[in-house]
Amino acid sequence: MKTQTKIAVSLVVFNIGLLLLFGIGIYFFLNEYSYVDFYKRLETRATIGAKYNLKIDSANAEAFKKVREQHLEKLEAEKEHIIKISPEVSLEQQASTYHLPLSLLQDLLKDGRARYQEGSKFYGGIKLRHNNATYLSIVSANSRFVSHHLTFLRNILLWGFLFIVVVTVYLSIYFSKHFFDPIREMIDKVKQISTESIHLRLKEPENNNEISELASTFNDLLNRIETAFETQKNFISNASHELATPLTAIMGEADVALIKERKPEEYQNVLHNVLTQAERLNQITKSLLFLAQTGYKGKKIVFEILRTDELIWEVKELIDRLNPDNKILVDLSLLPEDPKKLKINGNRQLLHLALANILNNACKYSHNKPVSVHIGASQEQVLLFIKDQGIGIPESELPFIYDPFFRASNTRLFEGYGIGLPLARNIIKLHNGTLLVTSKANSGTSVQINFPLAKLIK
Amino acid sequence: MQKTILIPIDFRVASLNTLKFALESSTGEPHKVILIYAEFLDDSITELLFYRPESKIASKITPEFKNAMEVLRNRFEYQIADLEIKLFHNRSRRGLRRFVENHQVDAIYIPKTYRLKMPKKAFDLVTIIRQTFSDFQEIDWPQDLGNASEKDHLQYLFNQ
Repeated sequence: MKTQTKIAVSLVVFNIGLLLLFGIGIYFFLNEYSYVDFYKRLETRATIGAKYNLKIDSANAEAFKKVREQHLEKLEAEKEHIIKISPEVSLEQQASTYHLPLSLLQDLLKDGRARYQEGSKFYGGIKLRHNNATYLSIVSANSRFVSHHLTFLRNILLWGFLFIVVVTVYLSIYFSKHFFDPIREMIDKVKQISTESIHLRLKEPENNNEISELASTFNDLLNRIETAFETQKNFISNASHELATPLTAIMGEADVALIKERKPEEYQNVLHNVLTQAERLNQITKSLLFLAQTGYKGKKIVFEILRTDELIWEVKELIDRLNPDNKILVDLSLLPEDPKKLKINGNRQLLHLALANILNNACKYSHNKPVSVHIGASQEQVLLFIKDQGIGIPESELPFIYDPFFRASNTRLFEGYGIGLPLARNIIKLHNGTLLVTSKANSGTSVQINFPLAKLIK
Repeated sequence: MQKTILIPIDFRVASLNTLKFALESSTGEPHKVILIYAEFLDDSITELLFYRPESKIASKITPEFKNAMEVLRNRFEYQIADLEIKLFHNRSRRGLRRFVENHQVDAIYIPKTYRLKMPKKAFDLVTIIRQTFSDFQEIDWPQDLGNASEKDHLQYLFNQ
């Protein structure tokens, strides 16, 4: 069943159910109440009637009669009966003489009070003793209320119910259709978007409701997919270029060497060149493998509690050995007083690799100008800033710096494959951290790395 | 003994450098820090009726500024015994003098070359402080003029 029909059906069923309950409730309770009320009226009349008919209170009998005639409204088909019970006449005979139901008389004799209904005719009566004789005072009347008002109410309720059912059905169908219009529209639009037309976007409605939210979520998703597509395309072209260059060199060297007979030194030279290119190829594939491993989260990585400042010093030592000309300055002016605020959960080897990559880049692209490293901590994060005064990254190329093999246009004079930064970012992501690069061409680059603080048991 | 110090800010990370260098140059005793931001009061009656400085301050604190404050609190855990932000609405020297007396401020630090970037509805307290008091202390720090962007960034605090 379609959601649309489901909504319509459940709306109709619920509404009709509630309405039925409401109508039946009103009718039932009013019915009960009107009977009780009417019997009470009959009994009051029977009591008063007995008083003046039997002259129980002889002084006031006339007054009772007057009061009754003047103030108590005459009921429809009202009849009074005073029956004297005597052993000579049986109840059956009494009943037939007065045209009264026998069971009423029996109940009256037994309980002293009785009620009886026959169609729209109601009987109410009491038993009383007077001058050593038993009397039954019975009043019968038609209840106008039951016969007319209740029927009228029932009709109103029935017609109202029918009317509301029709309106509810119509509205439910209309709204369930209407509500899904934008969604249907969206489905049609999304169907149009394929790999060929991935640049197409959904129209985001102006009003700020769930539908526009859904549209913008879709658009965000499409943006990400489009970027991923582009990245993939770039990666393939860059990777094939990077891998092809050393391969071409190897083939060229071998080809030239095989043209004619050569001296052993020349062969040695060629083999040496081939080896260098093969090593380069090996380097590239290795780093690619590493990139793929860090990007893939299925593999378990062992995390331990590490101190960020120690990490920085270790990485600095490492770079000092590789590149003794570097000028890395570690600024501790905002180091938190509490060493707990420096501890993060991480894998030492991976973090070494990431930080070394970033610091190495900073030194490399600034021709060993001073690189400053700042450490600070907020309540939840350790903040690292690495600032250099190097060649920077052109603003238009900033969005691509995390693409594998991408190299900015001003890096032609520097060696590198363009794998270091994506690798560093993957590693930082693995640690739930963030990497933020801000840069201006020719004035330097600033890298901000945030790591969440380790949750230590105090 | 605890000292109370007053520092004007503009809710940008860079303006917190005054606090950073003021505390760095201090002798290490605990401080009660009052960061003060000056702006004109709204003249709409509803704004005045529902005036709550806490929510006004909260709306001005950017995530970057909050992080910067946390970094400073962590750095000077002992020296910052208390840090609070106050709004100031009275653009008169007498009002400022009274504020300083009421809060028993021991020292006022203002930036020497950094200009507070105040929006239209706010005013620069630094000039008023210069006119009102003679014993304020000026703090200066190297500013990266070439890289100054409109965007507020946490790195402006890490600038040595």
